[in-house]
Amino acid sequence: MISEEIKQQLRSIVGPDHLLDSDIDRFGYSYDSSFVPFAEANKPDVIVRPADTAQVSAIMKLANHHAIPVTARGTASGRTGGSIPIAGGIALSLTRMDKIIELDERNMMVTVGPGMRTMDLYNHCAEKGLFYPPDPASWKYSTIGGNIAENAGGMRAVKYGVTSNYVMGLEVVLADGSVIRTGGKAIKNVTGYNLTQLFVGSEGTLGIVTEILLKLIPMPKARNTMQLMFPDMEQACGTIHSMLQSGIVPAAAEIMDQTSFQAVARHRKLDINPAIQACVIIEIDGDSQDALQRQAARIEATARRHNAIEIRTAASQAESDDIWAIRRGLSSAVGGMAPNRFGEDISVPRDAFPQVVRRIREISEKYGFTIAVYGHAGDGNLHPSVLCDMANPEHAAKVHHAIEEIFDAALAVGGTLSGEHGIGITKRPYTAKALGAASIQAHKAIKQALDPKGILNPGKIWEHDAREGQ
Amino acid sequence: MADRLNTLEKAAVIARECDRCGNCTTVCPLYAEKDIESSAARGKNNLALGLAAGMLEPSRRMLDAANFCLLCRTCVDNCPTKVETDEVMIALRQHLTDELGGVTLKYKGLGILMKSRTLVRLSAFAMALMRGLGVNGLAPRGLVPSEYTRRRFLSAYAGPALLGAPAAPSPSAIDSSSRVAYFNGCGMQMMFPDAAACSRRLVAQHAPGKLVSVDNRCCGLVHLAHGMRNDFIALAKENIRLYENTDIIVTDCASCSSTLKHTARYFDDDPQWRERAQAFGKKIMDITEFLVKSGHTPQRKTGARLTFHEPCHLGRGQGLRKEPRELLKAAGEYVEMKGADTCCGGSGSFHLDFPEVSDRLLDKKRDNIEQSGAAIVVTECPACLAQMQKAARDSNGRFVAMHISQVL
Repeated sequence: MISEEIKQQLRSIVGPDHLLDSDIDRFGYSYDSSFVPFAEANKPDVIVRPADTAQVSAIMKLANHHAIPVTARGTASGRTGGSIPIAGGIALSLTRMDKIIELDERNMMVTVGPGMRTMDLYNHCAEKGLFYPPDPASWKYSTIGGNIAENAGGMRAVKYGVTSNYVMGLEVVLADGSVIRTGGKAIKNVTGYNLTQLFVGSEGTLGIVTEILLKLIPMPKARNTMQLMFPDMEQACGTIHSMLQSGIVPAAAEIMDQTSFQAVARHRKLDINPAIQACVIIEIDGDSQDALQRQAARIEATARRHNAIEIRTAASQAESDDIWAIRRGLSSAVGGMAPNRFGEDISVPRDAFPQVVRRIREISEKYGFTIAVYGHAGDGNLHPSVLCDMANPEHAAKVHHAIEEIFDAALAVGGTLSGEHGIGITKRPYTAKALGAASIQAHKAIKQALDPKGILNPGKIWEHDAREGQ
Repeated sequence: MADRLNTLEKAAVIARECDRCGNCTTVCPLYAEKDIESSAARGKNNLALGLAAGMLEPSRRMLDAANFCLLCRTCVDNCPTKVETDEVMIALRQHLTDELGGVTLKYKGLGILMKSRTLVRLSAFAMALMRGLGVNGLAPRGLVPSEYTRRRFLSAYAGPALLGAPAAPSPSAIDSSSRVAYFNGCGMQMMFPDAAACSRRLVAQHAPGKLVSVDNRCCGLVHLAHGMRNDFIALAKENIRLYENTDIIVTDCASCSSTLKHTARYFDDDPQWRERAQAFGKKIMDITEFLVKSGHTPQRKTGARLTFHEPCHLGRGQGLRKEPRELLKAAGEYVEMKGADTCCGGSGSFHLDFPEVSDRLLDKKRDNIEQSGAAIVVTECPACLAQMQKAARDSNGRFVAMHISQVL
């Protein structure tokens, strides 16, 4: 519990309108977009909404002094419980820090506050012909600060990489309230440890990111979308594999199985040929329409060799948006298919993709759960969604075994637990297996050095023993 | 008690479809003004779920949060799973109202007023009197708007040839044997009598000889939206009875037409009334729909520059987007404004409950109207029209606001 006196101090930092502590507000900041059930223990004591770095610093000084947990969040669109304040304390909402601080066109870099939405950032840069490629499926509502905390990926990773590939520098408020700057605009920079990349993907456990310097690239001049339909997942995976092997690198190559696209079709009133078992959506980009047409022709020929049933190349921006809307709506549509959905985020070497999909099919049959599979076939990151009803004791008893087997399948081929969602709390039980005891020890040492009182987003990433507290 | 749980459970069944993704936060007009969790649909749906799960206790504050919703359905349109947050809010308001010991005085007053035909008429009379005396500006929050009448419109924009010209023959698409009736909404009757008279004329024009006159009751949206569901049901039953001998019911208020079309949804568990409610809903036609189906052509295309504010209950509520614009293109020089379908902040009594937020939404709307360069903003809902008139007043004469019936 936070005393009224401390609340008063917090109010004087952020202004009385920006501290919320009513029961409904505390509840509203107790969940994110993961499947973590509501819990009384997840309610923060207060929600504090700072406007700038100085306020964040003052809040951290106060919190550190009184050892109050602080869990940062943007729009809580995360899928693993990363922003759930499981230790109570302060939920630090950064959505007011949502401004472009500088767009440096000459160096092709942008400095931005953590609360800015990813799509707004993209649009702002696009107006100047500059391109910020990382586009997590949630880009419309996720914030760039959240993207940094989870090292978000997205559809374009196959060609353009993930968030970390664009982060040049950060301003970070440390646990004790001190403010540091990492990296900078120099492209070559080896002065000191690479702290920038240490904070990227640290899930708010090492510091509060208050300013972000990102590099941009020139916007591709032409872009188009293709939709390929296949009689099975093997042929769909095969097409993407053959494409990449022959030197065609699409800007995105997304795959989804029948269960997944039927979930979207249900809401969009689409009629889909029942013979279609797999759908691939490809984004191509290049310097000219000619170049695009050549790429499209080669992709089409490859798909035909893999028995594609339907091949559609968007004729307009509207058609292109329409095709992408199917992919972007997937996660939520699949989530709506069953009372509970365990959406996973495994990532494997690209050539192991079909093998892992086969293995997931076996797990689905073994446990009797529908498992919808979709993901970024181009980069090996896939999202198996186990659909179940936790109110059914039989389901509740075995769903975690099914998930563990999915993780095992990923690790067995040299893959990992999470490609882009982070660990948060939902994947915590599996990190030790994935990383090994020595690595977990190294993680703890870093955490201890930067946050000795353990107040920053406590209880995340690895299993904490009683001594560490939650 | 069983009934109360039932209302909450109904809300929870819909809210459970929410995947908590946050898409709604990007489109909710209220979240844009107040970006905290309980503003947008995700936060609101989860309040219902938190209550159903026993995580939260019913409270006035929660009811305030449920009332802080425009019921504009922008979130529904943009939701990947199409969660009907407006329905969840209506049910949640009902549940909380019951739990907290009844309707607050303000809504009760509104409910009683609109339930009684006599009181609606009296208010209409009083408002007309105030307008006549020129003291309507004294009423708070533009509740007694001065109407910009069709006569003033014609004298300002129509050439002399138009005045008194015979009505153009209309190839009626409505069946010649259809019995057509007008549904006179309370808001139109009380606040915009000139517009209502224009609507009546238009309906009569396209229903020659088959016009049925009905003294209807309120559509009940106010009651439904503020925890007076029983009153809504009673009013709906009366209207169903009153219109039994008609085939087409035309209304010039988007909120009425949208509410009436959805009547059957509230009689799902009543085998006695279900079919009658379904049949009733099918008869309802919004006036824009009616006029397009009747092949209405305005008497003459004027030179007036028109733009359209699309009521939430028309576009998202009924999918009627093309119809009003088609009609307006024939009536004048039509320009589409930016954000035409964004809620104006009127939303029944929302502008009374949350005046500051409502004003901010209306300021944005006024900017968009001014930027369109239109001389007249046209709409089709008395709550919207009252807002548009406030905006017109604040624009210092840059535009006026009218009901669509007045310009056709």
